[in-house]
Amino acid sequence: MATNKPSRQNSDIVNKMDQQLETKNCAAASKNNSGALDPEPPTIPKRRQELLKWNGWGYKDSKFFVNKDGHVEFTGERYRISGSTMPAMREWMIKTIGVSLDHKAPAQPDICAANIPLPIKNDGFLSELRKTSISHSDDCQDRLFRAHGHTLHEIFLLREGKFERIPDIVVWPVCHDEVVKIVQLACKHNVVIIPFGGGTSVSNALECPMEEKRMIVSLDTSQMNRILWVDEKNMTMRAECGIIGQDLERKLAERGLCTGHEPDSMEFSSLGGWVATRASGMKKNIYGNIEDLLVHVKMVTPRGVMEKNCQVPRMSSGLDIHHFILGSEGTLGVVSEVTLKVRPLPQCKKYGSIVFPDFECGVNCMREVAKQRCAPASIRLMDNEQFQFGHALKVESNSILANFMDGLKKLYITKLKGFDPMKMAVATLLFEGTKEEVAALEKRVYEIAAKFRGIPGGADNGERGYMLTFVIAYIRDIGFDYYVVAESFETSVPWDRCLDLCQNVKERLHRECKDNNIQFPPYVTCRVTQTYDAGACIYFYFAFNYRGISNPVSLYEHIESCAREEILANGGSISHHHGVGKIRKRWLRKTVGDIGLGAMQSVKQYIDPNNIFGNNNLMMGHNLSDGATPAQEPSNVMLPSKL
Amino acid sequence: MAEQSRNSWISKDDPKLVSARQKDMFEDILEDRRHSSDLRYSLKTRDVTMFKLNKPRAPMQIKEHVMKSDRVNFAIDQTCMDTKLPREEVVAEALSILDEMAHNLRTGAVRGFAFFLIKVMKSLYRRIYVNVDGIQKIRGLIKEYPILLMPSHRSYMDFLLMSYVFYNYDLPLPVIAAAMDFMGMKFFGWLLRNSGAFYIRRSFGDDHLYWAIFTEYVQCQICNGDNPIEFYVEGTRSRTAKSYTPKFGMLSAALEPYFKSHIPDIMVVPVSISYDRILEESLYAYELLGVPKPKESTSGLLKARKILEEDFGNIHIFFGQPISIRKYSEGFVDRSLHNLAPRYIASLTNQEQDLIKKLGHHMVLTQQKHMVVSPWSLMASVLMQSQGGVSLRQLAKEVEWVKRQASNLGAYCDWPASESAESVLRANLKLHQNIVRVSQEDVVELVRVAPPVHAKATDALMITAGQHLMLSLYRNHILHVFVRPAMIAISVNTCNEERLSIDDLFTKYTFLEKLLCKDFVFIPENTKADFDLALLTLTHTCGVVMEDNQVIIAKSTNKHTTFYSHLFEPFLLGYWILCQYLLSNHPNVAGKPLAKTQKNLVKEAQMLTARLLQEGVVKHYEMLSLDMMSNGLHALFAMGGVSKERRDGVVYMYPNTRQLSTITDQLAKFVDVPPLPSVSINLHSKMITVNAKL
Ligand SMILES: Cc1cc2nc3c(=O)[nH]c(=O)nc-3n(C[C@H](O)[C@H](O)[C@H](O)COP(=O)(O)OP(=O)(O)OC[C@H]3O[C@@H](n4cnc5c(N)ncnc54)[C@H](O)[C@@H]3O)c2cc1C
Repeated sequence: MATNKPSRQNSDIVNKMDQQLETKNCAAASKNNSGALDPEPPTIPKRRQELLKWNGWGYKDSKFFVNKDGHVEFTGERYRISGSTMPAMREWMIKTIGVSLDHKAPAQPDICAANIPLPIKNDGFLSELRKTSISHSDDCQDRLFRAHGHTLHEIFLLREGKFERIPDIVVWPVCHDEVVKIVQLACKHNVVIIPFGGGTSVSNALECPMEEKRMIVSLDTSQMNRILWVDEKNMTMRAECGIIGQDLERKLAERGLCTGHEPDSMEFSSLGGWVATRASGMKKNIYGNIEDLLVHVKMVTPRGVMEKNCQVPRMSSGLDIHHFILGSEGTLGVVSEVTLKVRPLPQCKKYGSIVFPDFECGVNCMREVAKQRCAPASIRLMDNEQFQFGHALKVESNSILANFMDGLKKLYITKLKGFDPMKMAVATLLFEGTKEEVAALEKRVYEIAAKFRGIPGGADNGERGYMLTFVIAYIRDIGFDYYVVAESFETSVPWDRCLDLCQNVKERLHRECKDNNIQFPPYVTCRVTQTYDAGACIYFYFAFNYRGISNPVSLYEHIESCAREEILANGGSISHHHGVGKIRKRWLRKTVGDIGLGAMQSVKQYIDPNNIFGNNNLMMGHNLSDGATPAQEPSNVMLPSKL
Repeated sequence: MAEQSRNSWISKDDPKLVSARQKDMFEDILEDRRHSSDLRYSLKTRDVTMFKLNKPRAPMQIKEHVMKSDRVNFAIDQTCMDTKLPREEVVAEALSILDEMAHNLRTGAVRGFAFFLIKVMKSLYRRIYVNVDGIQKIRGLIKEYPILLMPSHRSYMDFLLMSYVFYNYDLPLPVIAAAMDFMGMKFFGWLLRNSGAFYIRRSFGDDHLYWAIFTEYVQCQICNGDNPIEFYVEGTRSRTAKSYTPKFGMLSAALEPYFKSHIPDIMVVPVSISYDRILEESLYAYELLGVPKPKESTSGLLKARKILEEDFGNIHIFFGQPISIRKYSEGFVDRSLHNLAPRYIASLTNQEQDLIKKLGHHMVLTQQKHMVVSPWSLMASVLMQSQGGVSLRQLAKEVEWVKRQASNLGAYCDWPASESAESVLRANLKLHQNIVRVSQEDVVELVRVAPPVHAKATDALMITAGQHLMLSLYRNHILHVFVRPAMIAISVNTCNEERLSIDDLFTKYTFLEKLLCKDFVFIPENTKADFDLALLTLTHTCGVVMEDNQVIIAKSTNKHTTFYSHLFEPFLLGYWILCQYLLSNHPNVAGKPLAKTQKNLVKEAQMLTARLLQEGVVKHYEMLSLDMMSNGLHALFAMGGVSKERRDGVVYMYPNTRQLSTITDQLAKFVDVPPLPSVSINLHSKMITVNAKL
């Protein structure tokens, strides 16, 4: 949609003029949309299910499957691994998680209309909505698609079960004004709104509260996908909330710019979603996390539109309202437009990798890099399990030479240096900057690495490591096909506790699996995925084979919450970037304390007294004395030790 | 390429560039053929899995086995007794039957066949999609069980396609029960026979010898698992692109070996083949109108050259979940009942016959479920309702709506997400430019179709009807999706009360099902369950609004119910005209209406329809379809409105005036019937006038 509109090149338009143009643009957008035939369909169509899998991750044309020779193959043409087989993968699946190719668990073919709950209708709201030109649908499949994000629980329900409560209608506003209109109507008729961005939430944030009796409107922002302006003097840009990461970066790149915000979900997650969940991108070392990038944001709340009156780099104006909005998870209003910083595209970009004899050396190296503040755009440390998985994913290559080189490298690493392939850990690096900067930084990082017995492992391995990140989301679906449930979770932790936390959480996961009679060994792996001055972000993957178990999902959830308890006990946080949603609510009180929670709720109470944004995320809707949380936490008193 | 970290993994950075090679569960098997040598492909080594109990044998040996079998010898003896002919003569007769029947599957021919097929497929079709998962399942089963393949049947291509797919995936080629009309084609008939076709006569009713040979021929191949056996449960090619009601002869013969415990199990695989554009579309249209299709001949096939230059879009082939007969019949069938008679004497218990009936229906419904709905089918369903033409914009809107409803009802719609609605529509209009065109003002309308040279009826009416019938084929392709909710919709839409109780609704539904049960396939004795599901679906998609077990009529008269009603109106109105025609056959002197052959009844009902169309009393040209009339007639027979009697071995039919009147009155409550001009009601003296006109 956006591309067929005259792009607005004038970069330094004054604010006022901008607003005028914006409204005009908005009118144009809605007019354009009212017709049945829009000339160019948006990147993400209104009927998402026609492009994206309705019960799994990503594009419909892209998935893993076991081909007729019994090898794992990836379909489509989109990705570098599309159309290739991964010969080592089958062995890995069989050996590591006990998959048997003879035991398949195919998903149900569809959830047909008869199994989709009847929509609750608020006639007043509907009749007023119809009078506007706002696009909407009460189609079963459209509603179903917006009833969930991508947690294990949700995808499992799609594959095996059904939903009790889903949105009653989907609306597609095309501009800020339409959002305002929808929110007004919702307030007037007491209807619930749940904003829907890219739908990539992994915290049950999009789940409809089961007990909600009011009509629920899913406000899909995907058609609000324009870049409104780019200001090269101030190096900022403003875009509508629904633009998805890949589009934003692609369009900015056409002008030689980027935001540099690249969460792993960037193919589908949206600008508004990032703000609403406090997202973090892999290149945050250079560009910053979303809160660092954010210059201005507009949020439509039941009370009206909340925004600051200027776009300045910093200001001291009391409590920062941007920080109410960041991480509000759709409980306060709809983020409609956002101004972010932009940067020129880096001149040079280089991958790299470092092989360490073990995980500990790697962590110590990362710590040192962080201390010296010389981290490249991205630096990640994979543990041995993940390293091996990366190898299993190696794409079949026809070139004998490539295999030969691989073999040489293997020899070099495994024999000559005396590294144990069952212990090795690998750091992957991404450098960005001018040629000189990159060269200087590379030198420095490899020097530090050497002190921790790390040796450079080549650019290819680094690149492959990043590829893994994107592959992993697709791989869960084939896991499901063979009785494997898998999920990731993450945390942040101070440096001094980093190693212990990794070790203890892994240990706890293994133990819980055994105690819960899971027949096959689970797959547990982690990586240090971000570094900060004062600590790191740790990312875990956990998968197990549930053949012989009747309730894999609740078991999974039980074990994950054990792991979270362990994380908290080890000095880790409730979440580094996935957010709280509903899945991690029970630890929020402990995280921010009663007063903190009370303060959040007061904000909610003022902004949204009737709970129009009633998705029930965070602890917003909960009574402070609500028993749902372990309120009776023993008030621990630190006793001075005699030792 | 934009500088994103995704780069490490993206090869084509365009979200809209959807791979056409792989699409959902489907993979295109033509693409590779377009980039490599056909010759090499047809000579490739085929590493084929065989049934584990198979004893390899040549086609000749199969024939020998059949002639030596107890069953055939028993039948020969019987025939000798019945006809008093010398044994040698009967044996010779048996041998010639077998020669006429048997296939001669040979690798050499198969390779030639493959070579020929690729060329044909590549020039006719853009892509041939196959659900690989289904193939994998078959591959896994082939070693363990004998396999029956039951594809849907809407084109001659079905037959070629199945063999092609099996060749492509290195599976043993199926042997196929083919109709005799192929055999007449010299070269082609030979090629097919050598590629696995065996021929059966269309009707061999009471010919015990033929039946015995046929049964033994099929069964021994199943028991030995020589090759998967393929046949069409619908009996013949559907000329209407709707499924035909299942036939049970071949199915019974094929399953008997299991019931008689010759083998531990048989796997039955439903296969759905959906065409974007059917090769025989115009032939079908004229056949439905009563213009005979040309006899298949090799030279006819050569003339088909011209066809090879046309574009027939894509094909989707879906292999459904294989069904184990053992599991399917568990608890319903007692195999030990066969213990007391030699197994070569054909017999099936009632339980088994019921089960076969159920399975046959189940197969057809499964085929339907996995049919792929093309945008064109959706368009046709709208176009059929807008005879005066419709603007492209309006069409897009309507199609969007129908698409939603179809997918809510579980249909798989093949809609390219990456294109705008307009370009999808235009592409499909182009593919079917022989049927529709877009005017300068962006209005979509039917084009005139030139009748084939051999068509005698040059009457303008028939030409128009021809184009309507062609279009109706594609609408028919999705009717099965809507038929159950539609029967509710029709009942609701024509209700004059404010509320309609579920019980009354069900009564209406049952009546409609009986009426439509030859044009559409319903599982016998499943009416209540079908009804409940359809009602639930309609309430959940907001088509019907219920309160205290009653339908609120005002709220339920909406786009859903009207659209569905319109969709099926031609059938109800067509049947009604048929009833009117039958009723106009007043009792003659003998106090009983004149009995006529079915063919005559149908033809004359068509004439009445033609007359009404010409007078502008009715407007659906598709009611001229002989198939529709004949289906209506059979339904009326089943409902007691018509009786049959045999005269000289030929079936004659006549109306039961009282019952038929009741049915007609009831039927008239479900559809807006026109006032009939008195001339037309006035029986067949007037019909002769019509006759002369045609
Ligand atoms: C494979 C995968 C990888 C991921 N990688 C990362 C990562 O690297 N970094 C990271 O931070 N996260 C990651 N996530 C999590 C997720 O992508 C982020 O939380 C993302 O920010 C969600 O954006 P979205 O547009 O998909 O929002 P949605 O999932 O649609 O919504 C998330 C929440 O935000 C609310 N919301 C959405 N849009 C708006 C709006 N305009 N106004 C108000 N509220 C809104 C919704 O109501 C909901 O509560 C990943 C998820 C997956 C599945």
